[in-house]
Amino acid sequence: MTSTIAGRTRKVRRGYGRVALAFLAPAIVVLVLVRLVPAASALYGSLTRSSLLTGDTRFVSWENYAELLGNPDFRGAVGVTVLFTLIINPLQVAIAFALAVLFTRRLAGVRWWRSLVILPIAVPPAVSAVVWNVIYRPDDGLANAVLGVLGLPPQPFLTSPDQALAAIIVLLSWVGVGYWMLFLIAGINDVPGELYEAAALDGAGPWRKFFHITLPMCRRPLAFVLVADTVSNLLVFGPVQMLTGGGPEGSTNLLMYDIYTRAYTLGDLGRAQAEVVVLVLLTVVIVAGQFRMLRGDER
Amino acid sequence: MRAFTTHRRRLPLTILAAAVGILFAIPLLWVLTNSLRPGAETFGTISPLGWETFLTLTPNVDNYTALAGTSLGRGILNSIIVSVATVAVGLVICAMAAFALAALPFRGRSAVFSVIVLSFLIPFDAIAIPLADVFRTWNLQNTFTGLILPGLGNGMAIFLLRQFFLAVPEDLAEAARLDGLGWWGIFSRIYAPLARPAMIGAALMLFLFQWQAYVWPLLIGTDSEHILGPVALANMQGQFSVDYGLMFAGAVVLIAVPLVIILTLQRYFIQSVTTSGLK
Repeated sequence: MTSTIAGRTRKVRRGYGRVALAFLAPAIVVLVLVRLVPAASALYGSLTRSSLLTGDTRFVSWENYAELLGNPDFRGAVGVTVLFTLIINPLQVAIAFALAVLFTRRLAGVRWWRSLVILPIAVPPAVSAVVWNVIYRPDDGLANAVLGVLGLPPQPFLTSPDQALAAIIVLLSWVGVGYWMLFLIAGINDVPGELYEAAALDGAGPWRKFFHITLPMCRRPLAFVLVADTVSNLLVFGPVQMLTGGGPEGSTNLLMYDIYTRAYTLGDLGRAQAEVVVLVLLTVVIVAGQFRMLRGDER
Repeated sequence: MRAFTTHRRRLPLTILAAAVGILFAIPLLWVLTNSLRPGAETFGTISPLGWETFLTLTPNVDNYTALAGTSLGRGILNSIIVSVATVAVGLVICAMAAFALAALPFRGRSAVFSVIVLSFLIPFDAIAIPLADVFRTWNLQNTFTGLILPGLGNGMAIFLLRQFFLAVPEDLAEAARLDGLGWWGIFSRIYAPLARPAMIGAALMLFLFQWQAYVWPLLIGTDSEHILGPVALANMQGQFSVDYGLMFAGAVVLIAVPLVIILTLQRYFIQSVTTSGLK
């Protein structure tokens, strides 16, 4: 009797494995096709070099990586990407959080004003690039018309090495800030109201409430938003390709764009793939942190 | 007295909130208005800046009807085809995987879960260039299969659906088993309907991934029959004479479709993301 039950349980367990495999199979096939195969291909390709003349491919081990490190364009792209990352991510998270705090106050028409900030998140990045390309036109663009009304001189925006990266940051923030604000509004709404009531009884003002309740209670959503934002900004490509082509003077040559030109304009596939591997490793480390954060208190 | 002071303190904040909202909306209003007038008038109304820059008294939809015969119109149509197909197939694939990971105890389940979610979290755009080379050798360039395939698996969607499926009581599945329902029936008739908010949230993620994609369709869908909306729009910029009215009309359509969906479903979107462990 006992043995038949045990036997049956074992059979059921084995059956579960097979059923589970059937349910998982399509996802695993897609995963292998579009994630693992290209990752493996990039890894292998980064260790080889093809001759343009003979078409032969030979194994060069770490040579591509070593040459990449000595390449001024690549080093410039790393520098621009680091600068960009250090500016845009704290900036976007700070603005998104400030707006989240503002739009969770009880103000006249606040839901309406909040919706207006959320609207641009629907704009696909490529569309925002096209639209802002017209806004940024130096002679007859909307941005300089607005500056003119304010009594300010016209700016070159995308054609100036000092302004192009900032112009791209403004464009990306227009689309991005509302999106990250949504998560932070959810986080603020989850803060128990009793905390504020207790603080009010103790005579705490709005600033004290913000620094001692809102900010610490939103640590988790803030961390999540910072990491997710960092990853998405690491992969910025469309606006660079459409607006500046990495210029002027390499001032907007972000890593994704550098990879693209290396692969297709320079035809240097081996080194482009080495650069892909570097970028993937970098983002995977950040994404893994994000994943841990998402798992959080599951157990 | 007290009501008066809070009111006085709130007024500047209300003005600030309104100003920020209007600032964010102005570029969209400008795009919408210029889609409703001939392209030749776009720059004529900019300087000097006035209300006519942002509003028109004589709106017409000529630009929208003109979209029909252009590659931009074709691109928008293709974007719809690709996005809808991705949601239809991708939702089933992701939900099936999530169901196996939540409801079927098997050995090594947590390891499989970690591997699946982590590998799907390799940012797709980062490996798009090597993948495009692979797809070219498989003759998948300029095919709808090639455009749709990368959107089908979504690690976040699987993760989100699994979280919801875990909340379904096991007794329910057991009772259904005793009544003779197969695993597919348990999945499609019990788990999937019960996780409806998560299914909607996941569908939205799958849709937006395809609708907003630019790098991948730029690499793999280049001929006139497989061009997607964002690529077609970007291509217009490089042309010798740009019809700005047409360009803005295309931009409005490419913005309006996700906007309507997000506004209708934003409840599920925020809910699904916040309940997946953020708290």
